[in-house]
Amino acid sequence: MTISENLFENLRLELRRGCLILAVLAQLRQEHYGYTLRKSLAARGLEIDESTLYPLLRRLEAQGLLTSEWREEEKRNKRFYRLSGDGEQLLGQLLEEWRTINEALDATINSL
Amino acid sequence: MELLDRYLQAVKKHLPWKRQEDIIAELRANLEAQLEDKETELGRPLTTGESEDWLRQIGPPIRVAARYQPVQYLIGPAIFPTYWYVMRLAFLWSVVIYSIVSAIQIATQNPGETGVLEAVLRVPAILMQVAAWVTLIFAAIEFVATRYPAKWPEIAGISEEWTPSSLPPLETDAGADDKPRSYAHAVADVIFGFVFLIWMLLVPRYPYLLMGPGAAYVQGRLLFTPVLIQFYWWLLALNVIGLIWKCVDLVRGDWNGSLRLRHLFSKIFGLIPLGLLINAPDHAYVALKSSEGDRARYGLPMNSLNQAIHWFLMVVLAIALVDLLWDLGRIAVEAYRRRESALG
Repeated sequence: MTISENLFENLRLELRRGCLILAVLAQLRQEHYGYTLRKSLAARGLEIDESTLYPLLRRLEAQGLLTSEWREEEKRNKRFYRLSGDGEQLLGQLLEEWRTINEALDATINSL
Repeated sequence: MELLDRYLQAVKKHLPWKRQEDIIAELRANLEAQLEDKETELGRPLTTGESEDWLRQIGPPIRVAARYQPVQYLIGPAIFPTYWYVMRLAFLWSVVIYSIVSAIQIATQNPGETGVLEAVLRVPAILMQVAAWVTLIFAAIEFVATRYPAKWPEIAGISEEWTPSSLPPLETDAGADDKPRSYAHAVADVIFGFVFLIWMLLVPRYPYLLMGPGAAYVQGRLLFTPVLIQFYWWLLALNVIGLIWKCVDLVRGDWNGSLRLRHLFSKIFGLIPLGLLINAPDHAYVALKSSEGDRARYGLPMNSLNQAIHWFLMVVLAIALVDLLWDLGRIAVEAYRRRESALG
């Protein structure tokens, strides 16, 4: 990987980091376990590595934004996640922030 | 699938032991579901090569496990600037103190080039020890600050109790050597230079100008060895050169230019007379005049006096060397910064 490719990759990851959290929280308004969540995000054009998504779910749960429960489905025990009450409130605030940033970015980019 | 079991086993080894079982069970459920999807899509089990490719794409076990751990720093970004500042200070002072101690040790125990070489070769080990201790202390501070942030807000870098008015005053980029001088200052410098030179020229003829009333006692009993006379001529020559330099600057109208080059010249060439004194035969700087009685009475104290002068000179040399290295380092850093800013 060249220096500029490496730089692009780092900046891309930085840019995606916050967006992924927002997408995961939004998607978990509906219950999912890890793999189906990954599939549903990918179906909407947002690919996330397993090694990024699964630990992220744990972190968001530890922060009180998600709740989880183990349940058997298709003869296999799976951990299902869902947005918590606090998570829902925070998601609303984050989406508002996202829209403001998005509008500002659009205005900045289009003014050039 | 055996390969998946081996993969999960490898991940497990790097997970926090309290959550190992739970994380692995969840990861297994997710990966097995993914595997099932892949096999359904292909209509057959994955070959060994395909399984390897799939697991390789998920990532090395240690990296996957690391993502489940909180971000950890040995020295975090909040205290890193302080750590770096303390490290540089510790390096500087350890070199200064070590140089002084070594100079004394060399003078008393192991004079000669071998002693100096041994002392120089020990410097990297000393610096590594200093670095290790500073890092250890700051790692401990980081450990405490991240676990008890409420008790250590200043260390954790989250203190809100600061005011802009408590910020230090603006620093100027120009050092003392680079400050522009007035014409009057430059003229006064030349006049004092002349006065000092005349005083130096008069000292051999009128020693009381240097030693005051003690000159009579010294003249009666003591004798300066030739090395001290050579030292005097070196100092005189350096002062003459310095004075000529100042006069030329004044005549050329360049009196407000940088003094750095002149100071650097004095520091480098000032080492020559110092080295001359340190290498004096038998470290003899002063000797008794011919009186046999004096020799019997003051012979031993005279040796101690010469030895003490020698130690003192070693310390001065060590300080002068550190000072010179500091100046050269500063010049190198400034040149590097100028080049970097020129390159944009």
